[in-house]
Parts: sequence; C-alpha cells; structure tokens
Amino acid sequence: MREAAHDAVRILSERLCDFIQAQVPEAQGVEIGNLSPLTAGNTRNAWSFDASWTERGSTHTVGCVMLRKAEAGQLETPLVPEFEVIRALWGTGVPIPRAYWIDPEGKWLERPAFIMERVAGTSDFPTLLKPESAETSRGVAEHLVEVAARLHTVDWRALGLDFLPATSAATAAALQIEYWESLFRKHRMEPHPAIVGAFIWLKEHQPVADRITVVHGDFRYGNLLYEGKRINALLDWEMVHLGDPVEDLTWAYRALWSPAGVMSLEEFAERYTKLSGIPVRPENLLFYRLFNEMKHTVISLTGSKSFHDGRTRNIVLADRASTVTSYLIQFFDWLPQQDLGKAS
Amino acid sequence: MIKPTVSELLSGVAISLRERVLPEIPAGTTRRQIQAAIGIIRRVALVWDKTGPYLYADNQDLEETLRWMLPVLEGVVADEDNARLVAVSTKLRTTLDRSTQPAGPYPSPEALGARNIELQGLITELQEVLHENPAAQSASRTEINSMLRALLRRMLTRELEINSPAVKP
Repeated sequence: MREAAHDAVRILSERLCDFIQAQVPEAQGVEIGNLSPLTAGNTRNAWSFDASWTERGSTHTVGCVMLRKAEAGQLETPLVPEFEVIRALWGTGVPIPRAYWIDPEGKWLERPAFIMERVAGTSDFPTLLKPESAETSRGVAEHLVEVAARLHTVDWRALGLDFLPATSAATAAALQIEYWESLFRKHRMEPHPAIVGAFIWLKEHQPVADRITVVHGDFRYGNLLYEGKRINALLDWEMVHLGDPVEDLTWAYRALWSPAGVMSLEEFAERYTKLSGIPVRPENLLFYRLFNEMKHTVISLTGSKSFHDGRTRNIVLADRASTVTSYLIQFFDWLPQQDLGKAS
Repeated sequence: MIKPTVSELLSGVAISLRERVLPEIPAGTTRRQIQAAIGIIRRVALVWDKTGPYLYADNQDLEETLRWMLPVLEGVVADEDNARLVAVSTKLRTTLDRSTQPAGPYPSPEALGARNIELQGLITELQEVLHENPAAQSASRTEINSMLRALLRRMLTRELEINSPAVKP
C-alpha cells in the first residue's frame, strides 16, 4: 500500500517535471522536491511542491501548489475560468496566489490541473470560531471586509474578465437561480417539494443588483489563508461568476462558518459600504441569505448523487444529502411572515 | 432473532472503529474517509428503527393535508380555465382514492418510501402548476399555499429527526 503511494508520488513528480519543462522551454534541469498532498478538497486535490530549474545561468526555485480536478464531486466546474480569474486578479490588491501554468485537458498531469504560487498561512477556520481566538478572528474579519470591498470594486471588464457569463443588474439573481435549480433537477434523487417551493419563492422575489461585480462564490472563513490577523490569499475560486456582490457577503455569514461572533453582519455590511461605495439593501440581503441556503443544499445533493452513482468513492460526500434539512429549515424560518400564504 | 438489533450492531461497529481502528491511522485522506464512514454508521444506527414510523407518519400527514386541500383545489379548478390544474387535481383525487396502506397492516419501509415519493411528487407538481400563473390570486389559492407552506415545514421537522438525530448522552 505504502509502496503504491510512493510510486504515485514518484510518477506525479516526473509528470510535473515534464510539464514545467514544456511550460518553460528555456529551463534546464527541472527538479521537483517536497511533493506532498495537502488537505483534499471535494472538487480539487491540492499538492504542495518546490520546483527548481536553471534558466540563462540563473537558478529559480518556486514554492508551488497544484490544484488538480478530483474525480466527480460536489460540483463539476471547469478549471480554465478559475485559473484565468486568478491570473487576472493578480496585482489588483485582492490577496491571491500568483497563477503559473495550466494543463486544461490533463494531458500532462493525468487530470485537468493548474499550478500556482504557494502562499504562507493557514486556512484553519474552526480555530477562528473558538472563543479563545476572538481577537484574531476579529482582525481577520476586519481584513475580510477590505478584501470583499476590493474584490467587488475591481474593473472586471478592464481585467478581461468579460469571458465570464454575462449578466445584468436585473437578471443577476435569475441567472443564479436558473443555474442552481437546473443542477438540483439534474441531481435530485426524490421530488423534494420543500426545495421546489423554495426555488419558487426565490423566483418570485428577485432583487435588482446595485451593480455587477466579480463574485467569488465561496467567500468565507475556510477559503482564505491567514497569518495572524491578515489574509494572505483568497482561495477556491471554482464558483466565481459575475453577479450581485451581496451574494458573497451573505455566503460569508452562513451559520457553518460565520464570523458573527466577532462582527455582526450589520457591522460587516456597514464597513463594506463605507469602503466600497456599494449599498447593501435589506431586500438583497434577505434574498441572498435565503438563496445561499438553497445553493448549499444543491451542492450537498450533488455530492451525494456523485457518490450514489459511483462517480466518486469519496465517503465524505456519501451522506451529504442528510445535511440539507437544516439548511431548508433555516430557509423557511427566515421567510418573511407576510409572505406566508403567497407563493408556496 | 431480535438481539443484537441492527441499531445496536451498527453502534458497536462505529464505537470499535472509532476506538480501535482510528487511532492506528495517521492524519490524511484515509483517516478522513474512515471518520466520515464512522459518522454515517452512527447516524444510520440512530435512525434505523425510526425510518418506518417516520415514513408512516409523513405519509399520513401528506395524505390528510391533501385530502383537506382537495375541495379547495377543485374550487380553484372551477374558477380558472387551466388544463394543467385540472390534470393535477384529477391526479390528486386518484392518488388519494387508492388505499393508504395497501400492503396489509405492516407495510414495509420500501412500500412506505414508494408512497412517500409518489405523494412528494404530487405536492411538487401542484406547487409548480400554481406557480405557472402567480398573477391569479384568490382566497382559495392563498389557502392552498398556506396549507402547503405549513405542510412543508412539518415535513422538514420530521425529516430532521432522521437526518440529524439527537445523540443520547
């Protein structure tokens, strides 16, 4: 068993050498060191390594992280847009790793993968949620507001990010509903009338976005590398899209990872508006809080279905469907009372 | 044979895995997979005995609510010229006319599950048809929507008992 794992690392190391050599044609003596798996995500497997080579007489050594597409998981999103967004946002003030190279088809690295700079820090969010980490968590939350404000005010057209699916202030919510509802219909294993009812409510209560921005899509504790109170990098861009920035703010405050213990959503939104100039309207806030419960519901159902169909053998995903009941209860509990008796 | 029950057996397996196997496995992917498996076994152990009663109670509630709703829905059908609504209303009556517990006094969880999915499908279809014409507001539609909303909330409360069972101290 251990020998097989050792062989797998050796083979991957050779593949990485060949790949980097192809990406940097003038490189000589490419070497890969310290190759080791990082915590496996549900849709991307991460590996850390050091790459070194000589180029025109000088030696280069770079710390790298490879994100390689996992077998089927909770979501099946393409790598190219994620890579292109990371590359475009480099240098804009959004903390992000530098994107190096991509193997979009998995021609070199077995499965589609890209390589980016290894950034210092930890993504450990359970620690941030502990009472004894309140001071650190408060600092990270304050920086998170700044990161959100910066991300949502970048000029995405000027950065060439208009390859992301187009949307408008009036249709941003509809586009997201359509995307997640279609995934739900594809992956559900029973009719789920509560989810159908929830999507109907969302369709009947779409807010207009104040503006269209880059939306990270998974903006939260757990998807950032921090050191002390500072965020060094925002990670996991696989759900990035253009849309209403309020979607990111409300996602950050979902109960599973919310920093509400150290900064209320109201304070976060107030600081955010001050920094970004983007208003956070109550109707958008409520809509996206509800929408995000459905989004996570669909992600979880998709994971369970992938396991059920045998497209993944990741046991972590097997029983994800059982987690959605609490998200749905949250949805129904947050519905405005005056809507009772309107759309089901 | 009654003892050990399925729940007792699975609980024991989960405890053994957690106390004897897990400490032998170093941190990493394999350990996380085993931890996830233990979590699933523990949940199944806790809800195994509840599944049949849960489905039975859910089906009873769904049928009862739909029976209350049917005359109101037929009133909406009479008021609106809507072929899809007529079809759903007819389907609802036909489904409810069939025996609630067709497989004798002790229906299997499988039979209860099949009936549950059938009833879930009806509610889903009804919601979708009502949504097709949201402008058509009436007291009867409002009453149906209120009943549906309350039913969905009750269903979720029951479901939570199965999906996130309270662990006994």
